[in-house]
Amino acid sequence: MYELLLSGIANVLQLKYLLPLAIGTLVGVVGGAMPGITNTMTVIMVLPFTFGLEPLQGLSVMIGVYVGGESGGLITSCLLGIPGKPSSVATMFDGFPMSQKGEPGRALWLGIWASFFGGLIGGVFLIGTTGPLASLALEFGPWEYFSLFVFALSMVAGLTGASITAGLLSGAIGLVITVLGNDPIFGAPRLTLGIAWLEGGIPFLPVLIGVFAFAQIMSDVERINRKGPLEGAARFIVPKLVVSHLKVIWEILSRPFLLLWTSIIGLFIGVLPAIGGSAANVMAYDQAKKFSRHPERFGTGTPEGIIAAEAANNANIGGSLVTIMAFGIPGDAVTAVMLGALTIHGIQPGPLFISQEKTLAYGIFAAYLIAHVLMLLILFIGVRWFLRVVLVPKAILFPVILVLCVVGAYALNNTIANVYVLLLCGVLGYAMVKGGLPLAPLILGVILGDQIEINLVRSIMTDADPWLFLTRPISGGLLAASAASMAAAFWQHRRAQKKSAVAAGAADF
Amino acid sequence: MKLSREGWAGLATLVASLVLFVLTLDLKANPLVPIGPGFYPRIVLGLSAALAVLLVVFDLSRKSEPKAGPGANYPLVLLVFVVFGIYVGLMPGLGFRISTFLFVAALQSLLEPPKGVKGWIIVLATALITTLVTHILFERYLSVLLPRGRWTDF
Repeated sequence: MYELLLSGIANVLQLKYLLPLAIGTLVGVVGGAMPGITNTMTVIMVLPFTFGLEPLQGLSVMIGVYVGGESGGLITSCLLGIPGKPSSVATMFDGFPMSQKGEPGRALWLGIWASFFGGLIGGVFLIGTTGPLASLALEFGPWEYFSLFVFALSMVAGLTGASITAGLLSGAIGLVITVLGNDPIFGAPRLTLGIAWLEGGIPFLPVLIGVFAFAQIMSDVERINRKGPLEGAARFIVPKLVVSHLKVIWEILSRPFLLLWTSIIGLFIGVLPAIGGSAANVMAYDQAKKFSRHPERFGTGTPEGIIAAEAANNANIGGSLVTIMAFGIPGDAVTAVMLGALTIHGIQPGPLFISQEKTLAYGIFAAYLIAHVLMLLILFIGVRWFLRVVLVPKAILFPVILVLCVVGAYALNNTIANVYVLLLCGVLGYAMVKGGLPLAPLILGVILGDQIEINLVRSIMTDADPWLFLTRPISGGLLAASAASMAAAFWQHRRAQKKSAVAAGAADF
Repeated sequence: MKLSREGWAGLATLVASLVLFVLTLDLKANPLVPIGPGFYPRIVLGLSAALAVLLVVFDLSRKSEPKAGPGANYPLVLLVFVVFGIYVGLMPGLGFRISTFLFVAALQSLLEPPKGVKGWIIVLATALITTLVTHILFERYLSVLLPRGRWTDF
């Protein structure tokens, strides 16, 4: 394994891979620093640029964006009090107060170094567990795959924060999208609604791009003409960020339990399908506060808060990459785009990926590790400049992003039909956001829909006994876990509702 | 009893699911295999219809009224969708370069109306740079052929 990893590192250190990785990391840091531009949006923007590249070059760009984006978000969180993206919200709780107390450099570099160490812990997990998990998945038959995908969908539906019914319905809408067009087993056209371009089915990337890009852009467009959070940024003066790096590193490494525990939380959240860094960031912060001897210091500029939040959201990347590489299930929207990029190159992530595409798999591991070093270098050189990117007007940014979305959708297979899908899914995504339906289950439904159908039909064609889904141990275990996760989500939801009802009752008196 | 946005979303999904479910009844079973192309869609559409009904029922039985959010600029959202729709609709006729130039200029002007000559110069320069950079980058360096216009051959 180590030989393969070293050869992967040597491979990625070649200029033809290192340059895309560095560019991706730079773009990720800049995108991450821009409030309102999430990692998903940045990776969607770079997606069309990867079509003409080799698979490892394209994936290097995306991994760079992912790593850079998770770290870039902390710049504005710590220095401006504006989270660059949702996964930097908890970083702001202590990063910004520390900056206001006159230690902006310490706040910023605590976050950056914690991201680095958290990312490395994520890397160890990624490299150590992907192979064994993929070997386990190789034992799976169609019953187990079907149950695994159902489990993934039920987890997402229960964890998205909206009502469980809304989460499940969103996932079901995703599955409905995949039944339009053609039957994946026999290729028979079905539910084409008389539209010729629907006969080939709906590719998931235009759906993903449309849903996420429009949901985000239109949510920002809604707020135009009202006072936005960026108005104060124009008056911002870049502070002095000089700091003793050895001191900062020691501050982090002298808290090994905090670093390790919050990284593990990040990893765990990353492994769960479709919930990303934002949940990891907040949960790790919450855990750090609960375990702290001085919880009262949280929110006032304590280093523990910054370390916990940032270590978790970078470790989260490692967890997300594990699920996509071992099972072919994206850990979040960014890895969903990566999955799309891989399929464009004819590569199917899943249990066979690490054994059949060794060079590419270990190239991904290497790119992930090297991206963290590049992230440090890029931030060391340019952190003062990245603060200025928040001043780029959205009126310029949004049209450019939408043009790149069009190019990304069109270039998938050079057909304008994909652009129509992009537009329709943009409307659908925005309507779902307005209707209170979460988007993550929809995307997972679209990604897994065909695989769920293929495995369901294969299992029935192999043996028509439906009880096999329950009596085969792994399949039955996964379905039981789905039911347990739904029950837990339902119980949590009920408890939250009761709490809010009690609070509302108390307020009435 | 009044439906919230979630309830309306459920209702819309219910109608769409039922319409599609009825359409699956026309799908013929494959004589060679026990299940045909309509088997899985019926399960999925039945599931989405059932969940949509649940969402509507829960919404109707909810005691508290949903809180109204701050006023949103929906007319602008609609206009952005319309401009994007026109862009997508005109692209096969005008080609990528002309339609993209017009789209970027139009959307920028819509989001932040340009003030004075300088404002217009910024709008036109951004539209031109975006069009040229994407075209050159994708066509020359990334081997992506962007759409040519049927009417303009450009």
